[in-house]
Parts: sequence; C-alpha cells; structure tokens
Amino acid sequence: MLTRALPWALLLTLALFPLVAPVFDLDYYVGFVRHLLIVMIAATSLNFILGYGGMVALGHAGFIGVGAYTVVALVDAGFTSAWGAWAAACVVSAAFAAAIGAVSLRTRGVYFLMITLAFAQMLYYLAVSLSAYGGDDGYGLHTPLKLGMGLDGAHIHVFYWVVLVIAALLFAFLNRVAVSRFGYALRGIRDNEIRMEALGYPVYQIQFTAFIAAGAMAGLAGALLASHNQFVSPSLMHWTESAKLLVMVVIGGLGQRWGGPLGVAIWLTLAEVLKLYTEYWHWPLGLLLILIVFFAPKGIAALGDDHRGKSA
Amino acid sequence: MSLFVAENLCKHFGGLIAVDQVNLAVRPGEVHALIGPNGAGKTTLVNLISGMLPLDAGHLVLDGVDLTAVSPHQRVRHGLSRCFQITSVFKNDCVYDNLLLAAQAHAGSSFGCFRRRATESALRDRALMLAEKVGLSDVLNCIAGALPHGAQRQLDVALALAAQPKLLLLDEPLAGMGPEDSLQMVALIQRLRTETAILLIEHDMDAVFQLADRISVLDYGRVLTSGDVAYIRDHPEVQAVYLGVGAAV
Repeated sequence: MLTRALPWALLLTLALFPLVAPVFDLDYYVGFVRHLLIVMIAATSLNFILGYGGMVALGHAGFIGVGAYTVVALVDAGFTSAWGAWAAACVVSAAFAAAIGAVSLRTRGVYFLMITLAFAQMLYYLAVSLSAYGGDDGYGLHTPLKLGMGLDGAHIHVFYWVVLVIAALLFAFLNRVAVSRFGYALRGIRDNEIRMEALGYPVYQIQFTAFIAAGAMAGLAGALLASHNQFVSPSLMHWTESAKLLVMVVIGGLGQRWGGPLGVAIWLTLAEVLKLYTEYWHWPLGLLLILIVFFAPKGIAALGDDHRGKSA
Repeated sequence: MSLFVAENLCKHFGGLIAVDQVNLAVRPGEVHALIGPNGAGKTTLVNLISGMLPLDAGHLVLDGVDLTAVSPHQRVRHGLSRCFQITSVFKNDCVYDNLLLAAQAHAGSSFGCFRRRATESALRDRALMLAEKVGLSDVLNCIAGALPHGAQRQLDVALALAAQPKLLLLDEPLAGMGPEDSLQMVALIQRLRTETAILLIEHDMDAVFQLADRISVLDYGRVLTSGDVAYIRDHPEVQAVYLGVGAAV
C-alpha cells in the first residue's frame, strides 16, 4: 500500500515544490530540481539498456549532445516551437542511435563499451568543429522556445512543470515496459543471451530496439537540457559525462526501477551540498562510490528490496 | 522419407577439422542417437545444426525447408529446438518465469511493450503445461539456479519444448546425473518421442540402447557408420573405437 502511494506522493511533492519554495527562500532550487529531473530522464534511459538490457554503453552523453544540438540547429534556423524542437531532437538522436547501434551491437562486453565510447567521442569532436554553432565556445539560446497552448515558456515554473510531466510519463512508461513482454525478453537476453537465441528470440532486433529507444530518450533529455541552460556546448557530450551518468546509475541501482532517479538525486545533491563547503568536492563522492560498491553492490535502490530478495 | 537431412556438413577450426563431411538423416518419430568418443565433434555438430556456429559447407533441410542460411532463432521457429550440454536456464528467475519466457517466444511478438505480461492467461496456461510435461509442477516458485541438477536439466528440456519442435536436439541430457535422475530423464525422453523426433547425443550406452531407434557413430569428425541398435552393437569397428571391446586395430 505504502509503496503504491509513494510515487504519487513524490510526484505531488515535486509538483508543489515551485509554489512552496519561495516561502522558504529556496527559489534557486526550483531550477536545481528541474535540472535533476532532466538528468533523471537521461539516467533512466541509460538504466534501460544498461541495467535491464545488459548493454554496457559508455557513449550515452553522445545522444544527449545530439538532442541538444538538434535544438541549436533548429533555433539557429529560426524555428520557435519547443514541442517541435524536442520531438525533432528525439527523432534525430534515435536515428543516430540506430546507426551507432547497428554497428556496436555486433560486439559484446568491453568491445561494446569501447565502440560506443568511440562513437560518442566522434560526435564530441564533430560538435567542436561546428563553427556555425560556436564550436568549442558553445551556442547561446537567447530566445526561449515557445510552448504554445497558452503556456508561457519563459516562466520558470511552467517549464519546470513541463519537465516534471515529461519525466514522470517516461518513467511510468519504462516501468510498464519492464513488466511487458519486451521487458522480460530484454532481461532474458541480459541474463542468458545464448539461451534466448535458442528459444527463438530475435536477440539482435530486441537489443537494437531498446538501444534506439534509449537513444531517443537521451536525446530528449539533451533537448530539455539545452532549453534549461539556454546554452549548449560540446562539453555536454564529453566522455566524462557518459561516465558520470554510468556512475549515477550504478550508485542508484542497475536494473532497479528507481536506480536512475535515485542515483541522479544522490550524486547531484551531494555535489551541490559539498560545493558549498569545499572546492575539492569530488573526493567525498569518490568515497561514496567505494562504499556503495562494497556495501550495496546492487545500488541504493536495491537496499529496500533485500527483504523481498528480488529485483524489479 | 526423412524428416531432417544434414548433408555434407563441414567445420574446421584453424587446422583442426572438427566435423568432416557428415551426413545424417532423422526419420519422423525417431530417436536418433549420436555417439562417439570425446572430441569426436558431437557438440560441434549440434552447434552447426542449431546455427550457433556457422557452417563451412553443407546443407540442412527440416521438413522440406532448407535451413542452411537461416539464423539460429529462425531455425527454432521452423521447429528445430535444442538443449544444452551445460545446463542453460535463467538461474536467477523462478521456474515459472523461465517457462513463461519460453512460452512467450512462441506465442506472438515479443515487441509488445505496454500490456502487462502477467495478464496473459494463454502464456500462463502454456507455462503450466510445460511444467507438467517435464514434471516440475511442484517447484514452480523455486529459483531455477537453486534446483537440484536433475531438475535443472528437466527445465532445460522444458524450455526447448516450448517451441513445439519437429526435431529436438538433446546434447548429453544425462551428463552428470545420478542413477535416479537418469531414470527420470530416460522416462521423460520416452514420453517425448511421441510428439517430436529426437537427435540424442549421449555417452550413457545403456540409455542409448534403450532409447534409440537408430544410432550414428561419430569419430574424428566423420560418421563411422549408421544403423539400428543391433547393427551398431555388433559392429566391430564401433566396438573398437567406442565401446572398447575386442580392441581390433
């Protein structure tokens, strides 16, 4: 009963946060939580292929970048609809994921990791070389995209709620996928690929589909991030960003329903808090990572599951 | 008329010729045993037939369909299903979930991503039927990896049966089993012969002579001879290379 109510309570809390925040003088944190929600979309999409699909990809930031630069390209060309730009970002990053996945998914293990990393680095250097969009210096999105439907995109709260709705819908959708035929097939491949092939499953097509879906989601996160920051630079898709995302998912819990959101919340909140006290805020995070690997190897989200003895 | 024909199968690994111009024919309803000493190429042959390894040369035809260039998962859909010498199940899932996953593979698309699988009663019925067929109905909720070896092998067979195969490849189903488990498995194979032809690879000669209609003997990657049980039992060359009696050179 409690676990059923929890997501709704969380959603309600998040929805009310922008209204409550000014009372406690926490306005700044509305933007912070918005950023968190966007990164959660990216982390959840990575968890989908990494945790559920067993595909250890180290190039996820590449898709985030493709999504962000799709928005840049459209804005630069005079396009103004936010929904159109975000949808385009999904489509373009899905196309990139299809091309990259078609090659990468023929490899396994560390080769898969290296090849996804290589592709993401190629995208990174492509962005650096795009002088029309600022190259290394990045590109400022000075006119906010229009949301339409009577929504004022420039209003900080409206964009927050839009992000919240998108994140919640995607999260709910992926949780449904996890208990659907596709979700079971994907996890079956993660656990025993050869047996799945021998059962008659089209292993490659299933992984390919999941990879494209995750790429599209990451692209959407990138597009939202572009709107959030009103600025896009190649550093968005540097390989360390992919690695950071991977670490967040591991901390949260690989293949755990709440793995992505928890990992992002813990990592970014700690970083934010630690930055208040020290310039060397990386090392406590490193310490945390070591502790997690030793004491909660399945991630924070799995701690609550222990008594049930089964992962989601 | 044969149900399954393998013609001139060849496979080499570098300089090693593992399977050399092998011809096999399995008749409908037959249990065809494949025997041979260690390293004779039996498991390689199973991997070639199931498509886990690519053929260097040769042809495969099952029930009139040429499977030579068909991908492994499509071969299963054409009725060619296999078990593994080293038990291959989903160790972290319970028996029931294992069977559901097998049932799902042969009941419509696996790309559906919205309907909860738990609401599909057809899958549930199919999984329960598979459990009953191999005698695992009492352990549905046990984690597969925690089952005794014999039960895990039965589960392996159940997974292969979900395809409703025309030809079932059993790769040493009795390997590592105690006498009691072996008896159960032999009884299971006896029951299965009414619904599918079986290509049985096995070292336990008692079981082979008990189950097989015909036997092919593999040695150094080649088929030494093929024939019914009595013929193989009395074949001097077979006795020499395999059964270890009358060691004529």
